[in-house]
Parts: sequence; C-alpha cells; structure tokens
Amino acid sequence: MSYSLKINGAAVDVDAAPDTPLLWVLRDHLGMTGTKFGCGVAQCGACTVHVDGVAARSCQFPLEAAVGVEITTIEGLAPNAQHPLQRVWVEANVPQCGYCQAGMLMAAAALLEANPNPTDDDINLHVDNICRCGTYPRVRAAIHKAAEMMRG
Amino acid sequence: MTDVPTLSRRGFVLSLLAASGALVIGTRPILAAVVDAEPWTKDTPTGAHEFTPWLSIAPNGQVTVMVTTPDIGNGVVTQALSFVYEELGARWDDLRAQYASTSSDYALGGVYSKVNGSIGYFGGRSTSDERRITYMTAAANARERLRHAAAAQWNVPVGEVEARDGLIHHAASGRSTPFGALLAHAASVALPEDPKPKRREEWTHLGKDSPAKVQNPLVVSGAAVYGIDVKIPGKVYAALRQSPVMGGRLKSYDFESIRHMPGVRTVVEIKPTPANEKNILPSPFPMETTRIQAAVAVIADHYWQARTALDALPIEWEDGPGGKWENTQAMADAAMAVLDKPGGKVDFQAGDARADFAKGGKIIDASYLTPYCEHMPMEPLNGTALVTDKTVELWHPSQHTQMAFTLAVQQTGFAPENVTVHQTFVGGGFGRRAYGDDARMVVAVAQQYPGVPVHTIWSREESTRQGRYRAMVAGRLKARLGEDGLPTAFEAHGSGGPGMNFRGVSDTVFPQIVPNAHVETHILPDLHVLNGPYRGPGYNSGAFIMESFVDELANAAGVDPMEYRIRLYAKWQDKAWVKVLEELRDKSGWGQPLPKGQARGVAIGNWGMRGKPFAGTTCGAVAHAEVTQDGKLTIHRLDIAFDSGRILNRDAVRAELEGGAIFGLNMSLNEELNVEHGRIVEGNFHEYPMLRIGDIPQLHIHFGGLSDNERYYEIGEPPVGPVGPSVANAIFAVTGKRLRTTPFRKQDLRWGEKSASAG
Repeated sequence: MSYSLKINGAAVDVDAAPDTPLLWVLRDHLGMTGTKFGCGVAQCGACTVHVDGVAARSCQFPLEAAVGVEITTIEGLAPNAQHPLQRVWVEANVPQCGYCQAGMLMAAAALLEANPNPTDDDINLHVDNICRCGTYPRVRAAIHKAAEMMRG
Repeated sequence: MTDVPTLSRRGFVLSLLAASGALVIGTRPILAAVVDAEPWTKDTPTGAHEFTPWLSIAPNGQVTVMVTTPDIGNGVVTQALSFVYEELGARWDDLRAQYASTSSDYALGGVYSKVNGSIGYFGGRSTSDERRITYMTAAANARERLRHAAAAQWNVPVGEVEARDGLIHHAASGRSTPFGALLAHAASVALPEDPKPKRREEWTHLGKDSPAKVQNPLVVSGAAVYGIDVKIPGKVYAALRQSPVMGGRLKSYDFESIRHMPGVRTVVEIKPTPANEKNILPSPFPMETTRIQAAVAVIADHYWQARTALDALPIEWEDGPGGKWENTQAMADAAMAVLDKPGGKVDFQAGDARADFAKGGKIIDASYLTPYCEHMPMEPLNGTALVTDKTVELWHPSQHTQMAFTLAVQQTGFAPENVTVHQTFVGGGFGRRAYGDDARMVVAVAQQYPGVPVHTIWSREESTRQGRYRAMVAGRLKARLGEDGLPTAFEAHGSGGPGMNFRGVSDTVFPQIVPNAHVETHILPDLHVLNGPYRGPGYNSGAFIMESFVDELANAAGVDPMEYRIRLYAKWQDKAWVKVLEELRDKSGWGQPLPKGQARGVAIGNWGMRGKPFAGTTCGAVAHAEVTQDGKLTIHRLDIAFDSGRILNRDAVRAELEGGAIFGLNMSLNEELNVEHGRIVEGNFHEYPMLRIGDIPQLHIHFGGLSDNERYYEIGEPPVGPVGPSVANAIFAVTGKRLRTTPFRKQDLRWGEKSASAG
C-alpha cells in the first residue's frame, strides 16, 4: 500500500504494509537512520520522534496512523543540528556510546516545547528513556541549561 | 588485493609514494576531529605523507591518526588525538581519527595489534603506557622531521624553530610555514634516533584540558553511522532465531507456511560449529563461545517483513543437554553444592588456614550468589556481511575489530587477504561485543545467501536470550577473627559455569593481608548457559561477595564499617586503599546522623590489580540509602572515590565513573536472568528493568583518592564493583538484613514492626 507522509516538513511517499511501525518506515524505507531501534515495545525510547509536536515512540506507531500528521525526526529537529539542546549536549559531553541520545534529545525537545521551565520531576516524567551508559546526570543538567538558554 | 609497498614502518621512514591513496595502505579512513559519519568510506587526502602507520599529514595540514580501539562511549578516539596533539604542535581542528584497518594489520605483520598484545584492538585501555608512548613517539618523530626540514630551508639552527598551531615558527626572523608545505622535505630528514616523548612536566594539554568526544556533533544530529545504520545498495535483511536452549539443535521448520508473506526471499539454516574446530589465525580472545549456535534466519527485502515472517515461522528444536535444567534454582543449587567439595583450582594460598581455624573462637561463615546478567547494550546485536565465493566484506559494530576479522576468516575459511572489516560506531559494548560471536553469526547467515549484502538484526528478545552473560557465581567465605577483630584466617570457594572467574576475591587485597588464606574455584561444565566478559569480568560479582563479607566481619567485631576497613586495609603496602577510604569518609558525611530508616554503607575494591600493589584502579563507594519499614528502598546519594594512579582527561574520567556507578547500581538493584527448562526467560526491558533518570541518586565523584602513582589505569570498570555492596551494607545498617544475593529488588526488605507482622 502507498501512503503519503509529511516528515520534517517534506512530503514523502512510502509503499509498505499498513501495520509497519513508523520506526522501520523511517529507517529502512526512507533511509533516515537517526531514529534508533532499541526494544520494539515502546520501553526504551530510542525511537522517539515528534508527532504533531508531541513525543511518540515510533516502534509502536503504525504507518497507517502516520498519515495526516506532522512527523519530526532527529534529522529535522533544528537546521544544522543547532537546537540549544544539541549545542549543550555536545559541549557538556553528554553522550557516551550515543545510541540512545537521539531519542533522549527528541523527548527533551518536546518537553521544552510544552514547558520552557521544567522541574526535575517534569524531566523524570517526560524523559524516561533508557540509557545503558548512564548519562542521566548529564542529560538532566543539559536540559536545565538548554531551557535557560531558550528562555534567554 | 591490498597493495603493500615496501616500507620500513617501524623505522618511521617517510614514504613518498605518489599514487593517490596508496600511502594509507589498505586502510579505509574513518573518524575525524570533525568525524566522518560513515567512518570507513573516506580516503586520506590525496598526497598525504605517512610519517608512521599511526600518523599521516596531508598537504592541507590535516593530520590523520589511526585508532585501533572502537570507541564504545569511553572516548578512546579523542584520547588518541590528545596524545598526538600534545606532541605534534598541530591545531586541534586539523586532527582526524580513523579506525586502523585490520587488513593492513594482517598484511603488515601485526603493525597495530602488536602494541598491547591481544588487546591491541580492544575497546578501553586507551591510556595504557604502550598506547600513549606509541602515539606520542610517532607524533614527536613527525614534529622533529618537520622542524629539521624548516630549519634547513631557512638555514637556521634547529634549536631556534618550534612547532605550534600547525606551523613551524622561527621567532628570530618572524618566519613561519605550515606543516603541509614541508612534507616533501621532511621526507628526506634522517633522525639519528627516535625522539623521546615530552616529560610529564612539559605537558601543556594532557592532564590539563578535557576535550569532549570528537564524535558528539554526529551523535546529536543522528548522522553517526552505527552498525544498524549501514547503507549498502542491494542490502537485504535477516531476522534471526537461535536454539532457545544453548547447545540445542534444529529439528525442522516449515518455509512453505511463510513463503507467500510480503518481501520474503528465503529461510536459511545455520549449522552449529563442531567443537573440535582448529583456529586458522591466532585469536585475540578465546573462540569457544563464538561457535555458531543452531539457528534459522528469514531473509526479506525489509527488516519488518523478515521479522514478521520469522514470528510466523513454525520451528521445532531439540533442546540438548541444557534442557535438563528445570529452573534457575536447580542451577544455583548445583553451583552451591560444589563449594564444599575438594578439587577446585587453587587461586591463592598463604600460610595454613586450616590450622588457624582449628584454634576456634570467632568464625564467620557466609554463602553468596550472584545471578546471570545480560549487557543490554542499547543497539541490539546486528551486522552486515557480503560473502562471495572467496571474499567477505563485513560492516560491524565490533568492540574488537581484529577479533571480528579473525572470526570472519574462521567462519568462511577464506584467505585473510580476502576479508575486509569496516568498523562502525558502536551502540554500547560492556563486553558483549568483544568476543565476536555476533560478528561470526552475521558472516554465517550471509554465507547462506551469497552475493548479496545481508543485514542480520537480532530482536531485543533474541539479543537478551542469546547473550554471553555475566556468569552466575556462587561463593562461600569463611574467616576467623583475632583478638583485635581483624582476620587471621580466610578460606573462600567460588563456583560457576565455564568462563566464570573469582576476581574481586582471589586477586584482591583481602587474601594478601590475612596471614593464612586459601582461595579456590570450581568450574561446572554442565552449566550450559554461555558466559562472556561483562563490565569488570568476575570482579563485578567478586567485589560484592568480598565487601559484603568484610562488612559482616566488621559487624562481628563490633567496629564501625569505615573504621574497620581503614584498619584492615592499612596492612596493605599500597596506601591508596586507605586514602580512598579517608576521602570517602571525609566527603560523604560518614558518621553524621541520619533520620531513622536511613543509613550509609561503604565498600571498596580494585579492578585490574591482579594481586599486586600500585596496580589497577582502586575504587570505593559510600551509599546513602533509605528503607521504609514496608521494604521500599531509595538510594539518595552515592559518593565515589578512586585511585587510578593519575588521570589525563578529567571530564572523561568523571563521565566514566558516573556511568560505571549507575551500571553497578542497576546490576545490583535490578538485574537477573532466569532459566526455565534450559531457556532464558527474560526478553525485553519490561522483564529486565533498567534505572531511568528519575531513579538516579545524587552522584558525587571525588578525585582526592588519587595517589599520583605513575600509571593511568582504567576507569570504566572499577565503580561496577563497590557500588552494589555499599548499598547492601547500607541496607543492613537500616534493617539488620544481610543481603547475600542480587538483585536487591527481589528481596524482602521489610523491617521493624512490619517485618514482625509479616511473620
């Protein structure tokens, strides 16, 4: 079946089964591999994208549900990867292996969009992605720092 | 075929080959200070001059550094650049790293792998003496050639010119010229001897600056290509299922029932490796656990099609001997039962423990058990291979590129010259991707579908259930206390399946400072679950067992656990143990009163000492924990202090200690695999939980334990040892319950009235 999607502002056509997870549509059909496969059961958040601005786990998001919504992936988060979160992330040396970090960034970006001044509890609730390397203390500090930058 | 020009590589003779690309022989350049996203595809700039196999400089001034160890998140690539930066006088932005080719290594007689022996290509150990001196000598050699070339051109004494910011300067005349303009001339310079690297007192960068990882910009943009992201024209996908019981056989499968499904190309069977195989190449790591397990794989145009078809494929297995284990408890019972039997391998022996125990008095005797654990790297196992009738090309997120190369040769039997391995970014290692069974399986699947690049992806459940695990370890420890409360005799027995070791008990300080000590291990061959290295192999269990036991001794002696350890470990000649403990005592608030239901616990260990003083990294932890009377556990704070001798990149060290502490905490609180009828039960994160950001205690990393001993030892593994026992010891201080097994989340921590009412 052929579907028309809107990803990072651009219209794209995909030919795949309706229940194909958006994760695999992005990675395998469209070659957008910044969104990562970690668990396949919406547990780890490595596959987090934005659907109409809200964080969603794309491994449990079927293709047929992705029609008529605006999808944003890590590749489209900000021009030249210069979102304040991305800039702070690089400077504060947040990533270790880096594999989960695109999902972390997408979860954090959706949080800051909805809440420019999140508390620690807000972060705990909305950025509950798994990082096996244990970058959590730096993730938290970087979100606060980026929030501060964005508030000016 | 790789074109191998005649070069006196070890003599650092400059090559002037004109053919483009030929100067970087057979290598596929990789990372950069502005790292390449697809690391293996770029060539070194045309006309680059190879000063040594480790270092080349291009006419545009770009300095390419060969890195042997895959960066699994520890910053090894950045550290290699730091070594070169310190010596060469290049601009940081002109530095570029690439992974050293295993094909070149083979063709050139182990030019890369001989440094550091079997761990030449291994992740971690970025700061070993061999590696540091190799890079710094190579860079110093290049710098001296460039200085000589410039001095000759200007007809001034060499002593008057210096290398700085990618230029050679002559202060007296105000002249300067870029490295790139001097390359041809530098080629003719013959140095009388290799220049010595700078002395530590002369360093301006190492130990002072903390550059962030050079790959960070690629990571945050999603551009870094991990194994799972490899793009190759014509690539197809394989979804893999191996015998649910390790060592089992495939009985049958029914391809016809899935043949019609969309995108399905075929189903292939992968046959197990015979036990008597002979190594074709010398293997950096043991090959036993890399033997192929019986498997089937569905091959389809897209991954989701392969995965869906595999889930629908009827498969029948024959379980083999491992099927006899009805549950985890049966395996644990077998491991515990052997502890009292004679005939173990003696790991340590001093004095006469038996005679001392015969004196009677205060004897403490305790048994411990730690379960199988899985590494759970965030990138599920995967890799891509293209196998033809005589060549293999492998794109792989390996933790040891040379091992992957060795196994691609082993699996196909092809000539090593016809095997190419491209090292990708790696989504977590922790030991899981070191021994290379995953790389071997990727090649084995592609062998069954030749001529087409096949990307084999393990589902998370397949990754979890087909691990090479942290061994289950059973331990029984016994000590007799003297008049002063310190031990006079020690006897310890450890057991587990093949691959288990008792480090953290056998090789640590404790047996060394007890006058009469005996440690032995028993291996049970019929525990069929396969073990492998897991962050701090052996030590991650042993440190829990040892330091829980020391806490039991302190309690029996009636001495504060911190004070007891300071007295005990003061007997050891390496005073850093006491220094680390004192740092923790002073910085953690030890001894300051806490509300009811809260307490601190302490533990200390050493990763890498192997029984020797002034070796390895000593690491201690203080946990501040709260346990409610109905048994809810919260860790409020962790303090970590350590002694690796010295450090080079302070922020990188801090990051590794943070990550290692959290890894150790998760291991102790959460991690356990279970077995039913020989099969691993847990598959995904809802069954094998991970700490998340809201679960992380306040983390305080302290640097005051550093001894300044002349070594830069490893950082990633050490905290994994003491964190768990520090928590268990805090729990004991609150509840009076001694935890002798992990994970703590499965244990009844109720205390006080609640404990009594619960019966």
